[in-house]
Amino acid sequence: MSVTRRLVAAGLPLIAVAAPTLVHAAPAPAFTAKDIDGKVRSLSDFRGKTVVLEWVNEGCPYVKKHYSGNMQGLQQAATADGVVWLTIASSAPGKQGYFPDGAAAKSWMSAKGAKPTTLLLDPEGVVATAYKAKTTPHMFVIDRGGAIVYEGAIDDIPSNKVADLSKAKNLVAAALADVKAGRKVAVAYSQPYGCAVKYKDA
Amino acid sequence: MLIRKLLAALQGVVLAGLLAGQASAGPVNTGHLEAELVAQDAAAVPGSTIYVALRQKIQPGWHTYWRNPGDAGDATKIVWTLPTGWTAGDIVWPTPEKSRVGPLLDYAYTGEVLLPVPITVPADAKVGSTVTLKAAAAFLVCEQICVPEDAVVTLDLPIVAGAPGPDAKWGAVVAKTLADAPKSAGLKAVFKLDGKVLKLALTGGPLKSADMAGAYFYPYSGKVIDHAAEQTIERGPEGLTLGLTPGYDFTSGTPPTELAGVVALSGQAYEVTATAGDPPAGAAGLGAPAVAAKTGGTSLAAALLFAFVGGLILNLMPCVFPVLSMKAASLAGHAHDPGKTRLQGLAFLVGVVATFLALAGLLIAVRAGGAAVGWGFQLQSPVVVASLALVMLLVALNMSGVFEFGTSVQGVGSSVSARGGVTGAFFTGALAVVVAAPCTAPFMAGALGFALTQPPLISLAVFLALALGFAAPFVLLAFAPALLRRLPRPGAWMDTLKKGLAFPMYGTAAWLLWVFTQQAGSIALGELLAAAVLVGFAGWLWGHAQTLRSKGKPSLLSLILALLALAGAIALTALTASATPPTTVATASVDAAPAGERLASEPWSPERVAALQAEGRPILVDFTAAWCVTCQVNEKVAMSGAGVAKVFKDKNAVLLRADWTNRDATIAAALAEHGRAGVPLYLVYPAKGGAPVILPQLLTEGMVVEAIEKAAS
Repeated sequence: MSVTRRLVAAGLPLIAVAAPTLVHAAPAPAFTAKDIDGKVRSLSDFRGKTVVLEWVNEGCPYVKKHYSGNMQGLQQAATADGVVWLTIASSAPGKQGYFPDGAAAKSWMSAKGAKPTTLLLDPEGVVATAYKAKTTPHMFVIDRGGAIVYEGAIDDIPSNKVADLSKAKNLVAAALADVKAGRKVAVAYSQPYGCAVKYKDA
Repeated sequence: MLIRKLLAALQGVVLAGLLAGQASAGPVNTGHLEAELVAQDAAAVPGSTIYVALRQKIQPGWHTYWRNPGDAGDATKIVWTLPTGWTAGDIVWPTPEKSRVGPLLDYAYTGEVLLPVPITVPADAKVGSTVTLKAAAAFLVCEQICVPEDAVVTLDLPIVAGAPGPDAKWGAVVAKTLADAPKSAGLKAVFKLDGKVLKLALTGGPLKSADMAGAYFYPYSGKVIDHAAEQTIERGPEGLTLGLTPGYDFTSGTPPTELAGVVALSGQAYEVTATAGDPPAGAAGLGAPAVAAKTGGTSLAAALLFAFVGGLILNLMPCVFPVLSMKAASLAGHAHDPGKTRLQGLAFLVGVVATFLALAGLLIAVRAGGAAVGWGFQLQSPVVVASLALVMLLVALNMSGVFEFGTSVQGVGSSVSARGGVTGAFFTGALAVVVAAPCTAPFMAGALGFALTQPPLISLAVFLALALGFAAPFVLLAFAPALLRRLPRPGAWMDTLKKGLAFPMYGTAAWLLWVFTQQAGSIALGELLAAAVLVGFAGWLWGHAQTLRSKGKPSLLSLILALLALAGAIALTALTASATPPTTVATASVDAAPAGERLASEPWSPERVAALQAEGRPILVDFTAAWCVTCQVNEKVAMSGAGVAKVFKDKNAVLLRADWTNRDATIAAALAEHGRAGVPLYLVYPAKGGAPVILPQLLTEGMVVEAIEKAAS
């Protein structure tokens, strides 16, 4: 097992060198977390697929802004395209945005019409720590080779006003389009904006 | 009628406001703060600029954000609605506070904050009239949760012809806010990416006498530095250098050509725009500013005590003990002459202290130069290791009786002890320190870690305590004839003991050779072995010459040959300086390790730790170096047993090894993060995430097993 892992790890940089689109890309940290159905999900389950990570806190005004339809639309379009969309709730128990169980998360998702592949419960903030997730939302796009090709804000207007959505350029949509077309992602990073991730020691 | 009454009332209000010398407005409570517009002056003058501030009185526990909010949050925004011809400039942002939220760092305001904005009054503004300035402010207020709040605030401002005078209530507050706001003071600012550190060097008049404790750089862009990382401060005669952790723009994006932001010192803040270049000489070199001893950390007294005890223990190290015990035995020969032994004791003390302080001074100077080195750094240079190995060999050969030290051509037949040995005692002290330094004993790591994070004077004090502890046993012996008389009388047994004790020295030389191989590879090892043979040859020739002289025979040829052989050895050692370290050796051997009972390790990196933590696996990080004896002992005694291998397998734990045999800035930074200046350091990260537990520096298998079990639960 560990030998396999080492071989895979050793092979990764080769892939990164071979594919010209991944010049600056950092390898996506591996993680394991339970989803809303209690199923254990690992990033490695989705190797070979494009993966989007979305940090969420249902009470955060910035999350609410994007769940006015923008985020759901993006989720629907991406998953229809074969992209794996993992929404991650890293709020610690007692903090805003904490889902005590999968059912609570599910009821929020159905109320909002959220359409991710699944939502992962990360109350200990382990996944958030591995990715240094700072805000909700904080977005990551991981390509088929397991490299982070986009990290940052969902769009280029940091605000909590729904009115700004129509004026903003959606950076995640742009990154996904670049990945799909086999291009180098034009904007690979932007400063994430929103509420701080509610870590347990915060 | 009613309207007239109302108008009169209104006039009264306006008049009252004017009489009070106050631009009128009203605070708006938005839920978690009170917002209002306040002016510096009581009225506006046509053709001038007036500062109008958005005042926020924020509820305790809540905060709003600076222009760069840091890791999360959002800056306050103001949209103005002004009469025709009036214009508003940018907010003059006061220096923010650092607001730590778990692993994140935000730049925020708490309590009461004024955000002044320059408003230009058109020249044709009608004197005697009153204008209304309107601002729609949007701000994010956060505590644990964030709430976006909005306020539309207005300010009625009379237009007057002459000098209006300050606003009675807010004039002084606005003026103070403007005075305290970061100023562009013409500081010269240069930045340079130096490995994993982004150095920001600042020089200029106002910095020369400034108190630099707590100096901090707040960047305007959120992409240039890692906000949450500590910033290091290095003082210089002309300014200071901040060590920043580069952010995305420097690590992966297009490196910026400018680094703009605010540098805050205690009481004063400056706007700086740094350009890329080499830092000027005057921006560094004086070490970190003095800070009050950290509460909860090692206190100075404890550090001094630990250093003293550590020094005592160093006497027992295998590389030191033979040298010192022989020296002590030779003292016994002078037990009848207390004056002489005391002199030797003092000379030894001076030798030890001088060498320790010289090494410490060198270390402090090198660190002040920005190099990430720690204690034991002297063994990170292969040439130094090679030289030490040869010195050890020479000492060993001497103890084996191949030749005598201190026997010049003039003084054949006399031995060190016989010569009175004041110089000999001094150099014994110096030699002992040089060979002891790598054997950082337990107790010492904490003290040295503390020492190196302190101002130079305190660092030197800790090293002095270490030196005193190291010299104490010998000096005590020299000053206590009673003790000395208890030592066995010198005799033939001493020669036997000496020859026996030569072997720990040979052992030390062998160990240093092994360290050297780790650093410089096998080709360089070949060169060093040849040098060792030459040293042996030189030693034998020298001894031969000494024998010849003692018999009154000519010895010049032997001496010349000995010197030639020694010169050859030195030349070969110098040659090894060009050797490149075999960087792949460590990882290759790791990969080759069988996955059986033996505990395999992976190379350490902060990213690997994060990734493994994310997988929920317990992690033991072993900060080690080939030249660190304690590390080698621990790895053999506590980490290579079947019990440890089993617990690692059962708990799915991972051993990460950070090898500091050669210099490595990332490892040095990680050591510093845990208050250490050297290896060993053992960290156990719990599987559930969170901060690591630090294990003691002398490990047993039981401790490791227990720590891993605890980390897994």
